[in-house]
Amino acid sequence: MKEQFQARMLRIHFTEGDKWEGEPLYKAIITKCMELGIGGATVFRAIEGFGASARIYHARTLSISKNAPILVTVIDTEEQIQKLLPHLDRMIQGGLVASSIVEAIRYTPADRPPKT
Amino acid sequence: MLTPGKALKVSIYLSEGSTHHGASTYSSILDFLYFRGCSGATVLKGVAGFGADHRIHTSHSVEISDRLPLRIEFIETPEKVHELLGKLEEMVGTGMIEVQETTIAKPAQLSKPQKAPVPQHIKLEGKAQMMRIFIGESDRWHDQPLHEALIRAMRANDLAGATVYRGILGYGAHRRVHKEKPLSLSHDASIMISVIDTEQKLQQFLPIVDDMVEEGLVVLSEVDIIKYSPRASESVE
Repeated sequence: MKEQFQARMLRIHFTEGDKWEGEPLYKAIITKCMELGIGGATVFRAIEGFGASARIYHARTLSISKNAPILVTVIDTEEQIQKLLPHLDRMIQGGLVASSIVEAIRYTPADRPPKT
Repeated sequence: MLTPGKALKVSIYLSEGSTHHGASTYSSILDFLYFRGCSGATVLKGVAGFGADHRIHTSHSVEISDRLPLRIEFIETPEKVHELLGKLEEMVGTGMIEVQETTIAKPAQLSKPQKAPVPQHIKLEGKAQMMRIFIGESDRWHDQPLHEALIRAMRANDLAGATVYRGILGYGAHRRVHKEKPLSLSHDASIMISVIDTEQKLQQFLPIVDDMVEEGLVVLSEVDIIKYSPRASESVE
């Protein structure tokens, strides 16, 4: 099945070392998204980057401090994303959230409708 | 779709070792014909032969055995052949293309509808669209990973470029959590493919995505292209 709708996409940038209540921030954000019933979210680890604090991270640096740049992409309807934003305000200490309006097409196999 | 009657038969002669943008020419041509909706094509391997260089290539001489002659054949309607011919001439490099008139007595049975988008290699600048496709790493299309098949389909449709990203954590519509486990053999990470091209070309490609992606999310957004410069050797005219 194919459905087309207008959606909002958040791209949340921070680092792998960031924590929220004892667990990695990216895990906490994914958990929060699932709690809120947000359609989907994906975490990517980058191989190099720098941020507001201007530290450069390389994957090749043999550092045990796990501080790779992390990107979390969250896509859902405007309404759902608005529910998430106040939580992000609390959880993200240092980072960047970029937001854009996107055209979304969702494919679901006919025999397995998505859970809501 | 082929019907009984007049058609054109195209034979492409090339050597086995020749390459096109880093991939072997014959597989690039086969992908091109396949993803451009050609009714069928066959690659035949010669055991010996010679061409423009007037050297005999045989399977006996080890050192030049990657230069064995290959022939790719396909039969199509004249309109389709003319649509494909320009790009084929570019792809075949030093090889030869022969077109002959033929008559179809009985066309092969089609098992599924054909999609035939008409991509143009155009200069990318200014307003463009970005398409992100979210799927799972274990998703398959026919007998290969879906993300690899999508990339091949994009390449065959002349999309400007695409990148595959593997997520370390994620979930989708089915609340199935995709997680990267260092020593696990189950490759089921989240995959995102990002591709940027003109709105027209991405819209033409969407029916192919419709066909190939059974489960997943596709998002489209507007972007401004600041710089797109293919290397001089790869640019078209």
